[in-house]
Amino acid sequence: MSGADAPEGTTMEFHPQPAGGAPKPWAFPTPERATLANGLTVLRCHRPGQEVVAVEVCLPAPLDAEPEGLDGVATIMARALSEGTDKHDAEEFAAELERCGATLDAHADHPGVRVSLEVPASRLPKALGLLADALRAPAFPDSEIERLVNNRLDEIPHELANPARRAAKELSRELFPAGSRMSRPRQGTEETVERIDAAAVRAFYEAHVRPATATAVVVGDLDGVALDAALADTLGAWTGSTAEPLPVPPVTADDAGRVVIVDRPGAVQTQLLIGRVGSDRHDRVWPAQLLGVYCLGGTLTSRLDRVLREEKGYTYGVRAFGQVLRSAPDGTGAALLAISGSVATDVTGPALQDLWQVLRTLAAEGLTDDERDVAVRNLVGVAPLRYETAAAVAGTLADQVEQELPDGFQGELYARLDGTGTVEATAAAVRAFPADRLVTVLVGDAAQIADPVRELGIGEVKVVSGS
Amino acid sequence: MGHTATPPQGAGGLTATEHRLANGLRVVLSEDHQTPVAAVCLWYDVGSRHEVQGRTGLAHLFEHLMFQGSAQVSGNGHFELVQGAGGSLNGTTSFERTNYFETMPAHELELALWLEADRMGSLLHALDEESMENQRDVVKNERRQRYDNVPYGTAFERLTAMVYPEGHPYHHTPIGSMADLDAASLEDARTFFRTYYAPGNAVLAVVGDIDPEQTLAWVEKYFGSIPAHEAKRPPRDGSLPDIIGEEKREVLREEVPSRALMQAYRLPHDGTRGADAADVALTVLGGGESSRLYSRLVRHDRSAVAAGFGMLRLAGAPSLGWLDVKTSGGAEVADIEAAVDDELRRFAEEGPTDEELERAQAQLEREWLDRLATVGGRADELCRYAALFGDPQLALGAVGRILGITREEVRAAAAERLRPDNRAVLVYEPVAAADEQDHQNEVEETGQ
Repeated sequence: MSGADAPEGTTMEFHPQPAGGAPKPWAFPTPERATLANGLTVLRCHRPGQEVVAVEVCLPAPLDAEPEGLDGVATIMARALSEGTDKHDAEEFAAELERCGATLDAHADHPGVRVSLEVPASRLPKALGLLADALRAPAFPDSEIERLVNNRLDEIPHELANPARRAAKELSRELFPAGSRMSRPRQGTEETVERIDAAAVRAFYEAHVRPATATAVVVGDLDGVALDAALADTLGAWTGSTAEPLPVPPVTADDAGRVVIVDRPGAVQTQLLIGRVGSDRHDRVWPAQLLGVYCLGGTLTSRLDRVLREEKGYTYGVRAFGQVLRSAPDGTGAALLAISGSVATDVTGPALQDLWQVLRTLAAEGLTDDERDVAVRNLVGVAPLRYETAAAVAGTLADQVEQELPDGFQGELYARLDGTGTVEATAAAVRAFPADRLVTVLVGDAAQIADPVRELGIGEVKVVSGS
Repeated sequence: MGHTATPPQGAGGLTATEHRLANGLRVVLSEDHQTPVAAVCLWYDVGSRHEVQGRTGLAHLFEHLMFQGSAQVSGNGHFELVQGAGGSLNGTTSFERTNYFETMPAHELELALWLEADRMGSLLHALDEESMENQRDVVKNERRQRYDNVPYGTAFERLTAMVYPEGHPYHHTPIGSMADLDAASLEDARTFFRTYYAPGNAVLAVVGDIDPEQTLAWVEKYFGSIPAHEAKRPPRDGSLPDIIGEEKREVLREEVPSRALMQAYRLPHDGTRGADAADVALTVLGGGESSRLYSRLVRHDRSAVAAGFGMLRLAGAPSLGWLDVKTSGGAEVADIEAAVDDELRRFAEEGPTDEELERAQAQLEREWLDRLATVGGRADELCRYAALFGDPQLALGAVGRILGITREEVRAAAAERLRPDNRAVLVYEPVAAADEQDHQNEVEETGQ
């Protein structure tokens, strides 16, 4: 190493904090939109330098379309798409995909089934062929479906053992009406999954999966990829009838303030999930809500962590967020608005008291202009970072498709955030988290936390078994 | 000024130039103008392996203190300023290093450099008892959230302790123990900073939409006057025999959702051809749905719900290969172990087929391209090769080295390392909540 040791006491030379340079222009990419002869909608977006191409396929097969008593059939169908086709059996299919250096994931959520492919650009045509086979001609062999069903049954106890997953399950059950699909686990319960067989999977596929209602989003460095030819040979060869969109019931929820403790004797922490439902992306208030909720709990310098983490040390971090459940132009959608995190068992009462105090102070005094400015600079400024990868861009474009938003939504959102003032952001945050209309789920040691929580007066406290 | 490399095949367009300030700070620059973002990544050559007995977790706790302000940055200012400039940031601590990184819109790069220099040169101006007490509690909650309050949460810690013997610098994991976190004092933190946070013990990488000349001028301006000091003590010797020499085994009766079998193997050091061969071997055996163990246990025997191998590459001690199998239904661990041994034995004899090799290499290539897809990922890789192996240019050839591994090398890696006398085995047997307490005490006693 060069450089002599400095004499004791010497310090560095300090300089004033630098001012930033002039921002370079960046815009959320606008995809090119086309429809193939079979009715499949294709969105494509060239991102120079992104050698791993991301493909997202949106299938409008919502959980609400699952037959009565067969919750989880959409999930099993999604997983079974990659368990063999008319060309390869399940093992060969997995091998062929991995030979492309590709990953293929599929999952079912309230708006529909999403199939995600990632593959180096040089092997995109071959991987698109496999993806098309999976969508066009899945084999759904009895024995593989039986295995997937058993696998899913095996997963359920793991999910229930995870404090965050357990809390999410309980909140859904509390929040939504008993008959609503949203009140029940997305991937089904033991009782419903057990009933799923290959015939049920095939019936669901035939009723809801077809090119005319599907959309494929392709993002990455597409220079040197003959995409049109590759699409024509692969997803373009998928055939099927047209179908009307399925009507879905509007989302409703009961947010009367109350507390449910899921008892976990001996737990060293309490998992918190405090939520209700509110505006989704089609609501005009969305940008203000995004901004206000970020100021409340978007990061470790937001109001919640400033107190709960950086002042009190009660937690590794607590976040507030809005997660779209379903979004549609007719106003039937909703977002889950929630505060989540975990706190040490012995400070559960004080932590919740502070949390409610933060909400009450926000309602009484509002956000400051400084907070609003910093939040806007972050939410807008991070866009070029957030959308560096093909997968990030494809994910947002596919969300927009699923939520029936225009392709330019994300780009316009940044302009709307810029134009949102402190007063609007405050109003939206206060409306999102009213202190007396929040359902609180606590996964923790009831013997230690129930009494302190009762004393807070944040609603009636009910204890349920954690097993 | 260092040399510029032309990007070799498979480097994802990555290039790097190297520089060194008079105070010893190494600087790596990599230019790429495709997106107006720039990453700053600073690796300090200090990790949990440098910790002494009774102070496990100190390197990581210290990393938290680096976000509590310095001479010109108040309290949480580091986070506030970066986020307010549209940037994102974090820090992480592993066995071998501590890294800090900011990804910024390109026009805010100078701010990130100023902030990193301020804490490298003047952290102790701001470090006080209040932030120490606060971050001690935060880190203890991090430990509870990530390890103590989740099923199987302490598995990695237990396997590590079996693979690297008592007294070895890698015997404990970076999170440390609650007792040691409680014991750490402000003076420990100050000494830690004076010992390890020196310009000569760090590598700074700046990657993305940058003007290299301007960037270097800023680096010189902000970091150049930080005094050099050479207080660093080398980590304790991490050398160990290639093979553990016996099978270590621990059975845990805990409140977990299913039985589980976990195994950890000593593997070749990172930076060697042997490590790349082992990586390919683990991928063929347990790296995806077409891997041998997944096919056998999940598809054919249907005894497992998930089965996979992971690799933790280490430069200062043998790397670690980690098998994780969660059982299906009522399957017995003994049957799964017999099947795993059967597959390992066969693989050590036959090695991979040509097709298996091709698949594994294609998977590893994509994983590498994923890491290179962001400026932050590239900066981290350049720091890694510079800090651990003395040469950032090695990052450019990483994929090529994986693609050059032969079937015979993969077979040999498996035959030499994936053997019963070179592993730690951890078996989980579920018990009801009420029975757990007693047994945990038993395990604690066994552990001492």
